[in-house]
Amino acid sequence: MGRWEVMVGNKAIAYAAKLARVQFISAYPITPQTSVVEYLAEMVASGELDAEFVNVEGELTAQTAALGASAAGARAFTATSGPGLLYMHHPMHATSGGRFPVVMAVIHRSVKGMQPDHSDMMAQRDTGWIMLECENSQELLDTGIMAFKIAEDERVRLPTIFAGDGYILSYTAEPVEIPSQEDVDAFLPPYRSSYPLLPGLAEEARRVQMEQWGIGQDPQLRWRRQQEAMEAAKMVIMEVNEEFYKWFGRRYGNGLVEEYRCDDVEAFIVAMGTIASTARTAIDRLQAKGRRIGLVKLKSFRPFPSEEFRRLGAMVRAIGVIDRNISLGSGGITFQEIRSSLYDLEERPRILGFHAGLSGKEVRVGDIEMICEKTLRAAKGEGPPSLVEWI
Amino acid sequence: MIEVRFHGRGGQGAVTAVRILASALYLEGKYTQAIPMYGTERRGAPVVAFLRIGESRINERDLVHNPDIVVVLDPLLSRTVPVTEGLKEGGLIVMNFPKPGTEAGIGGRFMLATVDATGIALEALGRPITNTAMLGAFAKASGLVSLESLEKTLLEHWPGRLGEMNLRALRTAYERVTPPVDVSGIQAQEKRPREEIFSKDVSSWRIFKPQLDEDRCVGCRRCYIYCPEVAISMIQGKARVDYSSCKGCGICGEECPTGAISMVQEAL
Ligand code: SF4
Ligand code: SF4
Repeated sequence: MGRWEVMVGNKAIAYAAKLARVQFISAYPITPQTSVVEYLAEMVASGELDAEFVNVEGELTAQTAALGASAAGARAFTATSGPGLLYMHHPMHATSGGRFPVVMAVIHRSVKGMQPDHSDMMAQRDTGWIMLECENSQELLDTGIMAFKIAEDERVRLPTIFAGDGYILSYTAEPVEIPSQEDVDAFLPPYRSSYPLLPGLAEEARRVQMEQWGIGQDPQLRWRRQQEAMEAAKMVIMEVNEEFYKWFGRRYGNGLVEEYRCDDVEAFIVAMGTIASTARTAIDRLQAKGRRIGLVKLKSFRPFPSEEFRRLGAMVRAIGVIDRNISLGSGGITFQEIRSSLYDLEERPRILGFHAGLSGKEVRVGDIEMICEKTLRAAKGEGPPSLVEWI
Repeated sequence: MIEVRFHGRGGQGAVTAVRILASALYLEGKYTQAIPMYGTERRGAPVVAFLRIGESRINERDLVHNPDIVVVLDPLLSRTVPVTEGLKEGGLIVMNFPKPGTEAGIGGRFMLATVDATGIALEALGRPITNTAMLGAFAKASGLVSLESLEKTLLEHWPGRLGEMNLRALRTAYERVTPPVDVSGIQAQEKRPREEIFSKDVSSWRIFKPQLDEDRCVGCRRCYIYCPEVAISMIQGKARVDYSSCKGCGICGEECPTGAISMVQEAL
């Protein structure tokens, strides 16, 4: 049995790492770092957590150190935020390229300003990391534990980010259940790398790596193998989500997406993270008024669940996608990816894009109700066939 | 769901207050959400924090715009900050104010309970940190949380002597807070221009004011160096305070080696 505590999101993240019994933590300790590593440093200092805690001089090194520890076979963790994540960009490619299952918490902070949006993580979208988004602190703790199991699965072996909005989650306190260590130990056994790059073993490990992951052969092969691992990760994420449910009684949709009140609707909206949380209230209010609109929460941004959107898109007449991000010069990132997922459908729903919450702009329940109303109008064939709006 | 907004100044502990309250209410089987609003961390600047109280998990992640209850940790804040903005009709205000609610300059269809939290905090803690006193007042005036749950949470938050001191503030305010009075017949006081985080004139932030004894000033410049607001200038070898820039933090008084600066409580 777990116990409950009212805590901030940063503490929930620290608990995830602690319960996963991470063996190595590297962190740059100053702004834009969050109190995640402060909590972890205390846990290590008090002996509650037996891990090597390394303070480094910058995020690039934090990432590289985690990579090194993971390569040697340790369960490695790091955390960062906003511009700190941008500094990690370069070695993040190496972490995924080497197939090292590092897990990293990202506390979203805009790349323009201190308040949250998803621009920090979206700037890493092609680094080959799995990216799982969370809407509340319980989900941060739970996803943090699941992240290790997903990342370390032999079918996957990819580094994994789990993320939540800065301030909105990181410094907001709410009740969170902390699972018992025994249960987490049973759910998540210690990490045993099949290919530790340790002296003596290194040569063999390198040989296996080269064969399995396509290094040193067709130069494109390693990319292809990584893409195959991403595809395989979809199944693994769903499995881990179900297994987590068996142990702890909580699950997050099917692990990739969660349908909220989508039975018998004519349209749905799509949102990630805390906007999805607020959207639940908007959907409740509108359904109480008889509106037939639901919510699809996008939890796994990478791998991107295109099949899910194809399945869901076939059931409705319109979709409204909320992006807390933008690819400047192009548009909302999840809007585009969902739109492209729908291309193969015989009959495609209308799709509308909305930018909301960038640089921490507040997203109120009323804003989401308005987005829903517009999407419902599109479902009835009213208004322009496609639309992009700034909320 | 019940929504509460806390107003205070940096250093008065509004964020800690909502967190303690969230934990105490959780002990009583409520779901809670304590949201701090971070700006620049400037001691004395106006701050807000929010609390949501529900029966099940709270999904709203926006801020609180129409609170049921407003708690004001600072006696002068309501002169420059619109503390009743968005407060629901019939809503409750719990305010740190040493006089009856009808004299607080707040009017509207609200109920107002007052308590001299600054006085209580000075007695119990020796510092004008009013958060725990205001939690006691909140518990009594709102009836939403028991004193026992607050006491338990408080001692968990501050084990030992600090906890005991805060317990005293909590209990005293619980006893002394006035019953809420109807202020619908009261004319609300004219607001001074709205105060911003970057305000230059910070005189309204003061609860204490530094008073200089020129005879004891030896011109060592310590106060001048340490004042975080650059409110002190050295004129002909003596310190002088520019009171429009002084926020009353008391650092100059702490630093002065000769005791030339004493902090005197501002009259309300
Ligand atoms: S109290 Fe003293 S140190 Fe503080 S702002 Fe005023 S003059 Fe400066
Ligand atoms: S610290 Fe005291 S003695 Fe020194 S300049 Fe300031 S008032 Fe004068």
